[in-house]
Amino acid sequence: MSSQPITILIAALGGEGGGVLAEWLVELALRAGHPAQATSIPGVAQRTGATTYYVEIHPQTHAELGGRAPVMSLSPVPGCLDLMVASELLEAVRAIQNGHVSPERTRLVCSTHRTLTTFEKLAPGDGRYDSTRLLEVARRYSRECAAFDVDATAREAGTVPSAVLFGAIAASGVLPFDPAAFEEIIRDSGRGVEASLKGFALAFERCRAAGGVHAAVAVPRSGVPGTQSAPAPALCVPSGTPDLVSLGHARVVEFQDAAYGELFTQRVERLRAVARRFGVDGDAGLVSEGGRYLALWMAFDDVIRVADLKSRAARFARVAEEAGARPGDLLRIADHLKPGLVELAGLLPPALANRLLDWESSRRDAKRWRRRDGATPLAMPLKLRADSILGFLALRLLGALRPLRRIGRRYAEEQELIEHWLVCIEAAPSLEVALELALCARMVKGYGATNERAKENFRSIINSLKSSDPADIRRAREAALAEESGTALDAALTQAGAPPRAVKAVPVRWVKRTGTAT
Amino acid sequence: MEISFTREVDQLRQGAGTTFHGEGILAITKALLQSGVAYVGGYQGAPVSHLLDVMVQAEDYMAELGVHVEACSNEASAAAMLGASIHYPLRGAVTWKSVVGTNVAADALSNLASPGVVGGALIIVGEDYGEGASVIQERTHAFAMKSSLLLLDPRPQLPAMVRMVEHGFALSEVSNTPAILQLRIRACHVRGSFECKDNVSPAISRKALMESPARFDYERLSHPPSTFRHEKLKFEQRLPAARRYILEHGLNEVFGGRHEDIGIIVQGGLHNALVRALQQFTVADAFGAAEIPMLVLNVTYPLVPEQIADFCRGKRVVLVVEEGQPEFIEQEIATALRRMEIDTALHGKDLLPMAGEYNVEVIAEGLVKFLARHAAAVPLDAARDWLAANAARRQAVVAQLELPLPPRPPQFCVGCPERPVFSAIKQAQANVGPVHYAADIGCHSFATFEPFGFGHTILGYGMSLASRAGVSPMLGRRAMAVMGDGGFWHNGLLTGVESALFNQDDAVLLIMKNGYTSATGTQEIISTPDDEIKAAAENRQQSLVDRNHTIEDTLKGIGVGWLRTVPSYEVETMRRTLEEAFTTDYAGLKVIIAEGECQLERQRRTKPWIAGLLKAGKRVVKVRYGVDADTCSGDHSCIRLSGCPTLTLKDSGDPLKVDPVATVIDCCVGCGLCGENAHAATLCPSFYRVEVVKNPGLAERLLAGLRRGVIGMLAR
Repeated sequence: MSSQPITILIAALGGEGGGVLAEWLVELALRAGHPAQATSIPGVAQRTGATTYYVEIHPQTHAELGGRAPVMSLSPVPGCLDLMVASELLEAVRAIQNGHVSPERTRLVCSTHRTLTTFEKLAPGDGRYDSTRLLEVARRYSRECAAFDVDATAREAGTVPSAVLFGAIAASGVLPFDPAAFEEIIRDSGRGVEASLKGFALAFERCRAAGGVHAAVAVPRSGVPGTQSAPAPALCVPSGTPDLVSLGHARVVEFQDAAYGELFTQRVERLRAVARRFGVDGDAGLVSEGGRYLALWMAFDDVIRVADLKSRAARFARVAEEAGARPGDLLRIADHLKPGLVELAGLLPPALANRLLDWESSRRDAKRWRRRDGATPLAMPLKLRADSILGFLALRLLGALRPLRRIGRRYAEEQELIEHWLVCIEAAPSLEVALELALCARMVKGYGATNERAKENFRSIINSLKSSDPADIRRAREAALAEESGTALDAALTQAGAPPRAVKAVPVRWVKRTGTAT
Repeated sequence: MEISFTREVDQLRQGAGTTFHGEGILAITKALLQSGVAYVGGYQGAPVSHLLDVMVQAEDYMAELGVHVEACSNEASAAAMLGASIHYPLRGAVTWKSVVGTNVAADALSNLASPGVVGGALIIVGEDYGEGASVIQERTHAFAMKSSLLLLDPRPQLPAMVRMVEHGFALSEVSNTPAILQLRIRACHVRGSFECKDNVSPAISRKALMESPARFDYERLSHPPSTFRHEKLKFEQRLPAARRYILEHGLNEVFGGRHEDIGIIVQGGLHNALVRALQQFTVADAFGAAEIPMLVLNVTYPLVPEQIADFCRGKRVVLVVEEGQPEFIEQEIATALRRMEIDTALHGKDLLPMAGEYNVEVIAEGLVKFLARHAAAVPLDAARDWLAANAARRQAVVAQLELPLPPRPPQFCVGCPERPVFSAIKQAQANVGPVHYAADIGCHSFATFEPFGFGHTILGYGMSLASRAGVSPMLGRRAMAVMGDGGFWHNGLLTGVESALFNQDDAVLLIMKNGYTSATGTQEIISTPDDEIKAAAENRQQSLVDRNHTIEDTLKGIGVGWLRTVPSYEVETMRRTLEEAFTTDYAGLKVIIAEGECQLERQRRTKPWIAGLLKAGKRVVKVRYGVDADTCSGDHSCIRLSGCPTLTLKDSGDPLKVDPVATVIDCCVGCGLCGENAHAATLCPSFYRVEVVKNPGLAERLLAGLRRGVIGMLAR
């Protein structure tokens, strides 16, 4: 029998019970009479940061060793692991990137689910790391990879990830102990034993079922979508994708009425005509992708739309389910709304609305002179009880204002910008440019100030790059969707040769100082 | 502190004939009791917090033994506590995180080391160095050398660590010198076993008091002219006595090997890593027997020149494996060899890296260079292949990934009361322009990470306000300092507040009053709400820090004229208060106290309480937040103002919408920040608060039934 220790590295997020898991493994070994050691670097990583726990178990018992004590390593040795366990997919790959996992030696047990990092969540677009690629690396660089959803398994069993990973470790067969011995440890832990045992059993089964996927059967690399942007549409529609134009039409009709749907269809036809002008008969991406964003834009989120969506019967059921309400529980739903003067003005005819907004703007200027603190726009913060009769009626009434939408300022403003966008697409020098300009509509989203900033970015690209290289437009769009401050977009615009954007006024307040000469 | 260490306290009671199984730092704690320690103090900090936490909770048992335990207000007060051993034959131990804690303690340490001690004085430091460290990367070793303190660095196995605690006291007494026992992060957290001895009740203790104070002895004062004599004593008597003890008791260990013409001198704490590195060359077995002789320094200061000479004589070359910089040990060895005219060649930091943790791979890389030059008989292929394979694999993985993996630093807990304050700071700066932001040590330093990215400087624990004193007069805008209540009591009140008031500085101080030193493990401080208040609170879920006014009273008493206390979850009020502080004509120090109890402590209190209520069939309201996916536009501005782990993304579920939408996942504790931000920043109407009422009463069930009926008829 080998006299080298069995080595296990556990990658987990703080608070997932990795420490308990390491403790269980040591206890398991001690009970069977094997020397064992575990270390960790918890520190502040306990606060949901990434951390690791390292365990060594000697394959021989104290009795077999006859008093000799092995010297064990306190830190994992890259390439010398027998088992790598990860409660989250990205953390498995981080350990692989750090060199810990050996394709010749290391069995990998990892979760397929992702707990997104803050970094991935920040982008105004989609900043999520591509899971397909992560899984592909996990499989290629391990001797054997058993991947299953640890998080879902834990929730299904009503337990924590540590119990599930314990089951997965038992199933990996790396340790010379019976599953019964593992279960004994859980039984003696004394807390949430039944749920932990259930999680253990589920994981054991799933790990066995998922195992045996060898590196040779890796996921093919082709067809891996990009991470920072939506898949670049192919020049012909692949079969099996939903018919975006029909979906879009339905969305627009639902938003307003059949006539508005007719307007949508006419606009889609204009996109089709552009494609045809460049010799493409059919979709050419421009129609489906352009139609997608056209529909989302035409069904813009105004007060009426929000009230309508929030007062639907299906919503109450969905909220109850998400909140984990059981039969017999009562639900109280409070919607955090803050309708402002701008939103109200958006419903009024443009002339009236503009007068109202002018008044508001002069009020804020006056206030800014008188007082030092920020003069915020007029708005009413509401916690509307959607489950109360009055609250619900208020939403329903607001939703019923739909026919009035067409006379409103917001409606006019959106149609104007949509028309401008379509005209730019129609004037595009090539199909590629037309497509890139069409995709820019993805940027137009959000509410209030976010929406204004998004439209400003959108206008900058559409106006200054409308006849540029398609790659430049794509870069600028991706920059705008990657970060909020606009620095990346400015850089992309400059790189594309666009004139610098006007510097925006930023409030700066100097402090009155006694005795300062400068 | 709501967390319970009942099991650990029981382990401290273990007697001779039993085996201890557990963490390194707890083994050290047990070793203190086995050594007859009379008093224990310290300041919390990873990786040694556990020592004090367990001792504080072992109050009853400590009283039984007569041991005094003190949770000191900072490391300086802990170091000063060792002054008890200057006159009295009391064994004392203190603990802190190093190098930062040693920095704070340095004044008292110098003044302790100069007169020396008669009772053993042991300082347990957690050497926060390398992977997982949270502080600046420096060595405690420098303090041992400059103040002539003994420095113990035991092999990281529990029996060796326990042995060095026991010897440490004796060594300290025999040499009248305080000793530092240094433990690296992983050694503190290593789980292992050792055979226990009985604990020893100290001869002089809380139970067996001394009758009168020591007689006056000017020689025991670190005051001139005694200090001049102390300096001589250190080198003429104390260190030589220590060296004799080290030799006589075999504190440093020599392991033989068949390649007798070469050798390795290694710090005790690195022994395990060195053995594992040698195994890559197949010149060591799993039990530590190696073909290359080793001198393992369990005491790294002072070295014993004769021992070094004995080891080196007859060897062509030795390698010093010494972590961190500069290479103090290597220099000392070089001096010793040169002085004794021993011409053994010396390697160390020329082959091993100057900076950074010495893990197995780093040591092996150094060994390849060393052995290639000096030991033709040792085969290198296995190690070289292994190192090359690691490097190639890392490169290949990076290439296949194409994009770098996003980092995952620690962040504010779910429901942390500090997160809303940073949301407010972000919004206030958007309104009135950026401010200079002096950051501090504590959980609030997580605001340096995304989505906030705050902080111009970090100068130490409680130092934020002091660190902007030179900035404020040079800046046309206000400077703000952020500090936790932990930092405030550790240092900030004096170095920051008092100095700012005395100099009439124009500055803004924001104090996070969460009631504990949360980052080190939620230890209690003088402004922690009392246990009686917690026990009497009708609603255990609510924040109780507002019941303790020690910070406010102190600030008023010292003369702060502009003081505002704002509940941290009132984002809009906090934003306005910040804007006022940044722009008001009041020119002195402006202090804002952000009040909200540490969520970790609240959850530990709440969970059993709720479980009990549910079990008894009582009415319980559970709150959480949610996002309506169909109104979420997928812009994620809410996340950029929060960063809460439970506010994350999911696929939109709408074939038209490409970008993922925000979603609130199960662990949401219903803190309310999502709603507050939605209002304060006028974000979007997608957020809703949902209260699930368990075991509702009859009246509310009837009302809910009526509402459901009406809404059911009208909803579409």
